Amino acid sequence: MRKIYIFFLLLPFSIWSACDKSNDPSRVVIAGGSITEIVYFLEYEDKLVGIDVTSNFPEETSEIPSIGYVRALSTEGILSLKPSLILGEEDMGPPLVINQLKLTGMDLKIINEDRSAQGILEKIECVSKILGITTQERLNKIKNLTRDINLLQSIAKKNEDKDIRIMLILNMQGTSPIVAGQNTSGDGFIKMVGGKNVASNFEGWKPISSESIIAYDPHFIIITERGMSSFSDIESLSNTTALKFTNAAQLGKIYSEDGMAMLGFGVRTIKTALNFAEIFSK
Amino acid sequence: MSFFSLEQKWFKFVKSSQIKLLTFFLIALISIFFLSVTLGSFDFNLRDLLSRKSDSLDSIVLFEIRIPRVLLAAFVGASLGISGASLQGLFRNPLADPGLIGVSAGAALGASFVIVVGSSFFPEFIFGTFILPFSAIIGASFVISLLYIFTQGFGYQGITYMLLVGIAVNAFASVGIGILTYISTDSELRGLTFWTMGSFGGSSWQLIMPALIIISLTVLWLIPSSRKLDLLQLGEPEAYRLGVDVRRLKFKVIISSAVIVGLSVSLSGMIGFVGLVVPHLVRLLGGVNHNYLLPGSALLGASLMMGADLLSRILIQPAELPVGLITSAIGAPFFLWLIFRIRKS
Amino acid sequence: MSIEVNNLSWEIEDKSIISNISLRIDEGEILTVIGPNGAGKSSFMKLLSGDIETYFGEIYFNGVLLNDISIQERSFIRSVMSQSQEIVYDYSVKEIIEMGWLNRGLSNYSKDFDEAIQKIAIECSVENHLEQRFNTLSGGEKRRVHFARTLIQLWRPSGSLEPRYMFLDEPTANLDILHEQKMMKLIEKKKNEGIGVLLILHDLNLAAKYSNRIAIFCNGELVDIGKPKTVLTDKTLSSIYGLEMKIDKNPFRINYY
Repeated sequence: MRKIYIFFLLLPFSIWSACDKSNDPSRVVIAGGSITEIVYFLEYEDKLVGIDVTSNFPEETSEIPSIGYVRALSTEGILSLKPSLILGEEDMGPPLVINQLKLTGMDLKIINEDRSAQGILEKIECVSKILGITTQERLNKIKNLTRDINLLQSIAKKNEDKDIRIMLILNMQGTSPIVAGQNTSGDGFIKMVGGKNVASNFEGWKPISSESIIAYDPHFIIITERGMSSFSDIESLSNTTALKFTNAAQLGKIYSEDGMAMLGFGVRTIKTALNFAEIFSK
Repeated sequence: MSFFSLEQKWFKFVKSSQIKLLTFFLIALISIFFLSVTLGSFDFNLRDLLSRKSDSLDSIVLFEIRIPRVLLAAFVGASLGISGASLQGLFRNPLADPGLIGVSAGAALGASFVIVVGSSFFPEFIFGTFILPFSAIIGASFVISLLYIFTQGFGYQGITYMLLVGIAVNAFASVGIGILTYISTDSELRGLTFWTMGSFGGSSWQLIMPALIIISLTVLWLIPSSRKLDLLQLGEPEAYRLGVDVRRLKFKVIISSAVIVGLSVSLSGMIGFVGLVVPHLVRLLGGVNHNYLLPGSALLGASLMMGADLLSRILIQPAELPVGLITSAIGAPFFLWLIFRIRKS
Repeated sequence: MSIEVNNLSWEIEDKSIISNISLRIDEGEILTVIGPNGAGKSSFMKLLSGDIETYFGEIYFNGVLLNDISIQERSFIRSVMSQSQEIVYDYSVKEIIEMGWLNRGLSNYSKDFDEAIQKIAIECSVENHLEQRFNTLSGGEKRRVHFARTLIQLWRPSGSLEPRYMFLDEPTANLDILHEQKMMKLIEKKKNEGIGVLLILHDLNLAAKYSNRIAIFCNGELVDIGKPKTVLTDKTLSSIYGLEMKIDKNPFRINYY
């Protein structure tokens, strides 16, 4: 009910579309790893003057000044880079700072995120429109990506009929895994590969008890690489935690993957999803 | 009673060395203010700006972004400093702090509640309005009311009991905030988390003006009670016999703390150690009587907080450190040293 | 002028602490209350100090009901010294004594003030410690500082005829013999200056020596009140203390066995 209300409230804004071409995309600041990925994909990276800490791919990003954590930005810090355009996603914050940046007349565009393959495509198109990219080569790259997406969607459709239960873990809080519930990037990823999210009864990222893990009984378990950091390998992860008792663990169906590559919903997410979709289809 | 005789009275119980110190604190405050306002990640030439040669973005950064922020830091620092000093006097406990009696936690709970629950009714713009500070003060006042009920009107029960109640309230507020964190959606969490680490970012004139006025008035209301806080050190019965309305004094000190700390917490999140450490530093420098201690703690707290904010802005520029991190990094070792010193004597 | 107590009674949770006590304390006299532990002596002093709000009976200060006198006004009329609490912060001795100085808007403030502090510090033998930290003093020295504070509280420009009273609960506790005598002599001096003194002592000989009148308490009741030689009898003392006592008349001395 709450969501419908907000949807109607925001509807007028979405019609105006944040994807309008920017007047001056010569100095760009980005707060959002997936957007940075997209800018590199579109080969526009030499215009970047500042990026946040979630923008860690590709490696070249380490040479660009960091504006800090996407949810704890600094007005003056960003302004000191003299940007002509600021791009970010909905998680840019804190809200007071975003407000302040807008009030200084900064061109600040918030890119909509729809967590699906189609959504990623729209994101890329939106960013390229803002940056005014028209050259044929870049459009070709998008075409190639579209091919991957179509392949992904066909495999995913087949997967859907197989009713594949997947559990996606962000990290371990002690011995309890933090699992993707409804309306999370993890949930979006699972849907992209055509699987069914076992955690259908709660929203957001929440820690789960051992009993619930067993009750969920997922076919496959995915965990981010950072979530694995306190374990030497998948084996020790499955042996020392409650995951031990799942079928997935016993059958060796636990996979780890770079968190941003999977949940960022940037360019890499397509390839990553394709990978997993193929694995799960077998 | 003429103003002159009032001054005489104040000067009577402030040593001349303390007056010199207070003047020094004031000068330090003004210096740090100018330093904080001229330094930052955004580079501009101050002279150009003042002679109107530079572009409008420079002046926006200075007047709309930096100055409100530095002012807020000063007022929050002063609030935490003077609140800590008055609570340490009221509880006759050198480890008292606005956090101790549950005021900060109550303010945090009130604000968190609005962030999480209120975001169903008011989307983004709650952060720019008075709703957040207001709910923080309500939260802090709620804690005060609980304390009032449990101690039968701040009565003669003795301070220890009040501290125990404060500890219980803290625990309760932590649980409350924990639950709110748990049930909050991702976007609500966004508002909660930045704020538990403390930051002065995003301050604007319209946001801080009401708070600055209220804080100033409250501090002016509190300072004349300094002498009574001195008398309270002899013990509650003794102070009462010397003519101090002890119940009223407790009320005054606690309400002032609730208001100024509630406002501070709502605008800048949780910032620790300042209320605890600043009064001790002031005592170390000049003496323990409250006529000197209270204004001194306000002045020194303001300076230190502006300094901490400056560091938070320039250490990893263009990114920003949460200011609470800096006050803890400096405050915690100092606190340990303080404990050693108390143990020695 | 005097303090008048009429039919004073006080109880806590149905237990009677003070039972129907009536007496008078005059200006310029020392009235000492004696009695065994639990006789209600300290409670009596608390009631007269105004610490306790509800009780039966009446207490008048100079003809005015205590309850009708504001908290601040009370501090102008009477000073109280009893068991003191620990002082947490490092106040100097001078600062502690100064705490007795009441906010009465007296003009010519500084000169009178500094002189009074000096004089009283000398009277209490603490003038050498004025700049020292209070917490570094011995128990006895601290006591003398608190006493100095109560004296400052009652200090008036010379020639003032305001009636004032001093309540002291065991003021000589923790004092060595020299300072015990000095304190009692000082109290006597203040009495001669016109202050009415209510004293609680456990040392009967000391009480006999310095008091104008003695009130004997037992189980919350006033057993007897009058001149020392009159009320201090073998029979009375032995019975209330449960200890055999014999009194020598000349010199007056209470012996116990």
